[in-house]
Amino acid sequence: MKKFKFPMRYVPISATILVFFVVYLIGIISFDNFGSPKVFLDLFIDNAYLGIAVIGTALVILTGGIDLSVGSIIAFTSILIAKMIESGCNALWAIALALVIGILFGMLQGWLIHCFSLPPFLVTLAGMFFIRGCGFIVSEKSIPIKNDRVFDFIQNNLTVTLGKGLHLRFIVILYIVVLVIAIVFSQRTRAGRSIYAIGDNELAATLMGIPVGRTKILTYTIAGFCSALAGVVYAIYLKAGNPLNCVGLEMDAIAAVVIGGTLLTGGVGYVFGSLFGVLVLGLIQTLIIFDGRINSWWTRIIVGLLVLAFIFMQNLITKISKSKSKSH
Amino acid sequence: MNKFATVIMAAAAATLLVAGCSKSDSSKIKVGFSQVGAESDWRKASTESIKGEAAKRPNIELTFSDAQQKQENQIKAIRNFITKGVDVISFSPVVATGFEDVLKEAKEAGIPVVLFDRAVDVSEPDLYKSLIGSDFVEEGRRAGRWVLDNVGENANVAELVGTVGSAPAIDRKKGFEEIIKDHPGIKIIKSQSGDFTRAKGKEVMESFLKSPEADQINVLFAHNDDMALGAIQAIEEAGKKPGKDIIIISIDGVKSMFQAILDGKANCTVECNPLIGAQLFDVIEKIHAGETVPSYIPSQEGVYDTKNITKEVVDGRMY
Amino acid sequence: MNKTSNKFRHLVWPLVSLALLLLFNALFTKNFFKIEIKKQDSAQAVQALSGTAESPRPGTSWITPENYEAAGDSAEAAANAASENAGAAANAASDAAGQQQAVPEKKDGNGVSIFGYYLYGTPIDILNQGSKVMVLAIGMTLVIATGGIDISVGAVMAIAGAIAALLISMLDAGNCPGASMGPAFYWIIPVAAALVLSSIAGFWNGMLVAGFGIQPMVATLVLMVAGRGVAQLITDGQIITFDNPGLVFLCNGHALFLPFSVWIVVTMYVIAGLLTRKTAFGLFIESVGNNERASRYAGIEARRIKWLTYVICGFCAGVAGLLAASNIKCADSNNAGLNLELDAILATVIGGTSMAGGRFFLSGSLVGAILIQTLTTTMYMKNVSPAIVQVPKAMVVIIVCLLQSPVFRAKVLSVFASKAAKGGVQ
Repeated sequence: MKKFKFPMRYVPISATILVFFVVYLIGIISFDNFGSPKVFLDLFIDNAYLGIAVIGTALVILTGGIDLSVGSIIAFTSILIAKMIESGCNALWAIALALVIGILFGMLQGWLIHCFSLPPFLVTLAGMFFIRGCGFIVSEKSIPIKNDRVFDFIQNNLTVTLGKGLHLRFIVILYIVVLVIAIVFSQRTRAGRSIYAIGDNELAATLMGIPVGRTKILTYTIAGFCSALAGVVYAIYLKAGNPLNCVGLEMDAIAAVVIGGTLLTGGVGYVFGSLFGVLVLGLIQTLIIFDGRINSWWTRIIVGLLVLAFIFMQNLITKISKSKSKSH
Repeated sequence: MNKFATVIMAAAAATLLVAGCSKSDSSKIKVGFSQVGAESDWRKASTESIKGEAAKRPNIELTFSDAQQKQENQIKAIRNFITKGVDVISFSPVVATGFEDVLKEAKEAGIPVVLFDRAVDVSEPDLYKSLIGSDFVEEGRRAGRWVLDNVGENANVAELVGTVGSAPAIDRKKGFEEIIKDHPGIKIIKSQSGDFTRAKGKEVMESFLKSPEADQINVLFAHNDDMALGAIQAIEEAGKKPGKDIIIISIDGVKSMFQAILDGKANCTVECNPLIGAQLFDVIEKIHAGETVPSYIPSQEGVYDTKNITKEVVDGRMY
Repeated sequence: MNKTSNKFRHLVWPLVSLALLLLFNALFTKNFFKIEIKKQDSAQAVQALSGTAESPRPGTSWITPENYEAAGDSAEAAANAASENAGAAANAASDAAGQQQAVPEKKDGNGVSIFGYYLYGTPIDILNQGSKVMVLAIGMTLVIATGGIDISVGAVMAIAGAIAALLISMLDAGNCPGASMGPAFYWIIPVAAALVLSSIAGFWNGMLVAGFGIQPMVATLVLMVAGRGVAQLITDGQIITFDNPGLVFLCNGHALFLPFSVWIVVTMYVIAGLLTRKTAFGLFIESVGNNERASRYAGIEARRIKWLTYVICGFCAGVAGLLAASNIKCADSNNAGLNLELDAILATVIGGTSMAGGRFFLSGSLVGAILIQTLTTTMYMKNVSPAIVQVPKAMVVIIVCLLQSPVFRAKVLSVFASKAAKGGVQ
């Protein structure tokens, strides 16, 4: 009889989920009200934009690339939307334009990376500077979004109230929908599988006849779209645009992807894991805010250590599975 | 994969069930405070004032959070304060916009909000009970008036602006320009952002001093003391005498700036008082007791220059 | 001839861009190239030498090259100068004699110059302000040459500045061993501590990358995320100011007409250059960057080489951190070195070093760093908001990278070639 064996590839993601629940339990034991469902719901509300951005980052990292322009695109999108609404444009047009710019920008980055074999780190770094500067050109001040029909509609009609003080906001629903689509895309479509193949071994993927160039450009385009969508969510979340926001968010996104069990060299991991990566980051922050005594810079240190722990674990797993495949 | 999902769902349900079975000490007023960050001496002083005052008062239980200059962190902090069930929320907003939703949530939960240091831009004014703090526009005006009174009708001003897009930078500039508007002799001939930091203040001042207009500059208006202190170094390196060749005015009033004024290297600093811990908790106690408080409480502030700064003042300065 | 042209080919595009930028400034920014020779402020010079803050004597001698070269003479001259005007002859003389080795480092640091003259102007500023990125770029070049990357240098800078400022404040207060050495010497302790600590940070990165085989980007991400938090904890979130003459001198003093920081860069460049071009180390780095496995088979200790480059990079970050702190006479953990890792990487790549590893050009990296700083300074002079500076910066980076990219060149060439062919047919 064959003994049930827990597949090695599920270890990182299970570890992430385990960490999430352990942190959650610590919180519940140590603080009043931490167990309230509102904490759980707030986690989604406050991290929906990050979660959507992380989906794009995760896909890019699966191809073995990297995207540093995430935070800047969010800031640019939010300020662009706010500015257009302020100058009397319909919010839907503003959102559509912002998404199109995000898509085109991602496509441009992917094109530069693929066609001229420039390093992704560099191209997206330049992209990050560029689009952040563009945000400041749109407006140097933060702009509130007030009395807009579309935004009010989203606020009033698209929020599900679950109980007193418990609102399931539109942005949370949107995040979950995007997440499900991304999971299906990465696991069940040809393009999604190609992403894994490229991340695992680009040369082999090319030899197998996978359209490497097209897939890579597509991935960066999706990442651009996700970032822009995150910007839209951010604008809905804050009802404002601010070119200064989300500085350094790309590093949080990468940390979330790593904690979510994706290997930074590409090819290994699940988009689903990014959900828990984001939640763990958010939960640690919540824990430190609830405590209110320890220096909040500890958040950064703990996140750093957590990233380290996950890297070690993955390293170990890679080594074990390699030695296994050799022994077979 | 299916099995996996079920396990997660079950675990999630289990944790949610554990929820809501703890109690808290209700005799204390629980205050949640979200600070902008620790970006300057001034900010640090205000943090210490608040923490120190909270420790002195036995009836206050403070939950303090540092937003590391990120609005996203601040909103998370306020949301968590609501969930935690504090009695009063207080915060010093990173920017003016974007707090409407979370403040509505606080209102819905019946938690009064007291703002400190900066205002927020909201459509319903009852979203916060009171604002304690400084009026940035007024600070800019005071700096402008000081120039008018002490430099006269002819001044070529170089301006070190704060972080582009931030509330103090916008308002202080506005206030200053408002005053000098009617005086054609006073001109801002150079204006550039120094990001509120010493390093950038110095770097930008260096470039001012090498510009063709360098010799005309006789007044420097910096939006905070840190930039001014950086600029003083740049001016000294250029072989000019800060405080004499170039009159230096800034805003905040930190100890090192007082020292610089005492040493004759700077001329004036418009105080923006960070030590409002006592004022803040007085207001919070009143609100908690159900009394009404004014919606704007200016903090006690002055203008300091060579006339009223002595060694004693410098030594007595807390920050 | 071909050989030399090959050697400098990588410098062509960065230099052309730099030249274009300077040309733009020459045409449109007044006074950009105006360099003055400033005299040492005599009062400061006397102070600098005698170590007494009293009684400046207007219009008298600054230190001349001759009397500096003879160190004993200089102390004597100082003693004379001080005693003449201060009246506290005995004190001053003994002070000066006791501190003669610290001659250039004495007092204030501002504009203290060995020769009594120093150059003053925008190009000098560019060199001085760019020194941090240049130092970082030297270390970064070596790391990138092994096929790695170090994104933690900005955070390490903050740590180095924080520890140095903390120690100097403890020494000033007298509650740290070594305080008995007096302020003229004990600044060495914080400097050494900062450099050791940053080298340890580099060692840590190296351990993760070379020791445990973690991808460099993630391995250094750990320190990048956590490092600034550590720096904040070291300084307890405060901005620690200091005025120790030695520490302040690093980025504010002048030597041989130029800011001292420039000489630090030159020294580090020369050492790195000798280390990589006159020993086998450079060859090993390139070979590891090209093909790690092959070099291991060839008997190169690939892991040790990689490890060492991260230590060097950490050390460079420490130096840069000290420069940043020295420049503003305080440690600002929140802002020191913020995003400078990105500038350092850009400088390296603009200078022709391939991010894939295997090829590196230290001189190119320095040119890249100067290019970035020139761009920033130009924007300051033109009153362009620094927030918007990022747009042209990004475009310059992409253009230079495209020009460096062999694929791009080949494509452009083929376009030209096909056009030429068509032209030929017609």
